[in-house]
Amino acid sequence: MRDVAIIGAGMIPFGRRDEDTLMDMLAYASLKALDDAGLGDKSVDAVYVGNMGGGMLQRQTAIASSLVDRLSLIPAAAETVENGPASGGSAVKNGLLAVASGYYDYVLVVGGEKMREVTGWRATDFVATMTHPQAEYPYGITLPGMAGMFTRLYMEKYGVTREHLLAVSLKNQEMGALNPYAHVEMALDREGIFDSPHAIVNNPTVADPLHLYDLCPVSDGAAALVLCPLEIAKKLVKPPVLIAGFGQATDTQTLQERDDPTDLKAVTLAAQKAFEMAKLKPGDIHVAELHDAFTILEIAESEHVGFFKKGEGGKAAAAGKTRLGGQIPINVSGGLKARGHPVGATGVAQVVDIVFQLRHELPKNRQVKNAENGLTVNFGGFGNNVLAFVLRRVQP
Amino acid sequence: MPVDMELEAVLRPPQIPMVPYPPKVITLANGKKMVVRQASREDVPSILKSVHPCLFIERDYYDIVSARLYGELLAWYRYRVKSEYCLIGQIDSYLVGVVNGRLEDEKVGMSYHTLAIDRGLRIGSHLFAAKMEYHMDYLGQESVLIVAESPIGFRRWMIEYPLEKTNIPHELGGGDSYRLTRDIYFAAKPRLVVGDRPVPQDLLDEAMMEIKFADDDTIRERIAGLKGR
Amino acid sequence: MKKEIAITAYKCKNCGKIHYPYHDRCLACKGRDFEMVKPQGDVRLLTFTRIYNLPWGFDQRYLTIGIAEFENGVRAMGQINVDESVPLETGMTMKPSWEPVRVQAGENVYGLKFTPIA
Repeated sequence: MRDVAIIGAGMIPFGRRDEDTLMDMLAYASLKALDDAGLGDKSVDAVYVGNMGGGMLQRQTAIASSLVDRLSLIPAAAETVENGPASGGSAVKNGLLAVASGYYDYVLVVGGEKMREVTGWRATDFVATMTHPQAEYPYGITLPGMAGMFTRLYMEKYGVTREHLLAVSLKNQEMGALNPYAHVEMALDREGIFDSPHAIVNNPTVADPLHLYDLCPVSDGAAALVLCPLEIAKKLVKPPVLIAGFGQATDTQTLQERDDPTDLKAVTLAAQKAFEMAKLKPGDIHVAELHDAFTILEIAESEHVGFFKKGEGGKAAAAGKTRLGGQIPINVSGGLKARGHPVGATGVAQVVDIVFQLRHELPKNRQVKNAENGLTVNFGGFGNNVLAFVLRRVQP
Repeated sequence: MPVDMELEAVLRPPQIPMVPYPPKVITLANGKKMVVRQASREDVPSILKSVHPCLFIERDYYDIVSARLYGELLAWYRYRVKSEYCLIGQIDSYLVGVVNGRLEDEKVGMSYHTLAIDRGLRIGSHLFAAKMEYHMDYLGQESVLIVAESPIGFRRWMIEYPLEKTNIPHELGGGDSYRLTRDIYFAAKPRLVVGDRPVPQDLLDEAMMEIKFADDDTIRERIAGLKGR
Repeated sequence: MKKEIAITAYKCKNCGKIHYPYHDRCLACKGRDFEMVKPQGDVRLLTFTRIYNLPWGFDQRYLTIGIAEFENGVRAMGQINVDESVPLETGMTMKPSWEPVRVQAGENVYGLKFTPIA
């Protein structure tokens, strides 16, 4: 198995992109990554496209086949990868294995989603289709609803409070306001969304105990990477980023069948495998992108990957330990909360943002100083299919 | 053209006396303070300057809402509509939202339109609620008829209050009206109607002195929110 | 007339683990022989939420959903029959029933509902 490096990374601003089709967004992000890799007028050997809703929302299937044609990448091998909100992470994994195996040298990985083509009710329903068809979906459960039930249990077991969730929300929106690719470009004010009695309208309950600003927005967008063997990458100009380790694990589909629903076993296992492969420990990570579709998840994942003990993640967030400049900066990009969550794109965008960090390319107000090792966690379903990647800067 | 007051007496509809809406101030999600106050007829030309660029934005039905609002405000300004009122939201004097409605009679009101010029801050929700507050708490009405052109409006009003369906036709030929009753209003009030009174004097003076409006491009960008490549 | 709760749970004949929903192989021992079990008795509420942004197909303002455990160990999700003004707590005992939980293509879809015992 060969070492695999990332030599190209690109994304388009996430948000409401009425003027672009799904294929437009996938193409724009892909071209950015290809140009970044110096392959703007060249081919690749394989393409993996992460997308969850093309069939349902755009009535479009075989998306990867369409993309290679549009981008003049034929006769490259191509596949669309669907793994719920972890479609992006799975696309990265498949691209990684394709290069590591020795079968393919240059691989393009792109994730994209166009969720705002439909009304909010239909987007909510689309996302809910990942729940169990008989035991969950018919009841009108939504993913925020699953998160609400999970949050209630987490609050009861570990004493997480709304203040802890608020700390995550404010931090991520503040950082998102600095990120030109982020969906939400507005920093929130504590008074407006929490302290003031007017917060009941500004920040209403969506799935109690979660409120509007505990949730990520519904977004359109795409992000892309170019992978190749490390040996080739070393000869290129930009410092490559090594995918030092990855892990993936699954769990029961329904929350009720987990012995302890607050125990995100798939997150723990996926992260453990990634660290083992990379021969690193949680303490070696300098910057992380954790899947914060809901603020509670950033807290829970920060514990399950090993940054903090169980029950300490909320307090750590409130104490500023996960801010830029803190003990372990988490979601410096703004996270899903502010960068946005076009579901198929997220897993790829998380890696793109870590690549920018490890290349030391970002402006001072967003760059983690001397970042060498990064971690991403892409959460599929409600914790039943999770991918983790450990990335390392390769010294030039 | 000089106004013939004798002819005006024939052309102008009667007006039901309305107590003024007491201004209030609301803290928004980004910490900014929005003053909600009643506009006077003299304010209409300034307001129309902000409504005008919205006439050409298809996104979220801004075009039809602004077109109808423009006509309603002009009708009020030119004394051609019964008992209309207009409330506006201002942040640092800038107009960020407009709502209007009228009284059909002492007991029944009709909500006209809601236009939010700054988005992502629930301005539409706050101003619509202010309208309902005016009808119910200050004008003492029994019910308000409401229609929605946009799915966002439908979600925020028909579902969130929630409103009663009726068979009463829409004033301008759209779908049937919904109704807000006093019972529904007072049950929903704690979670939908907020604001502090009185407005601190400096904020109120600033809002009353001038209605600032952003230039057309800024307004278009705020509403249409186009993202670059 | 009250409808019978049309949920079947599956008890592994090898190790006794109870499953709902259906699995072809036991989650604990990979066994394939199951005894069909009906959920028995009242339920204890394990967790719940009240959802205000509902998916397409629901016209109400909010929906209260919970996960509960039957007296014989079967766990399932259901809608909770309760007004938002009634406080709920995990651990509460509720009565389960089988009622329409949504309408799809003009037809009632039946499912579990939980009603707090006064």
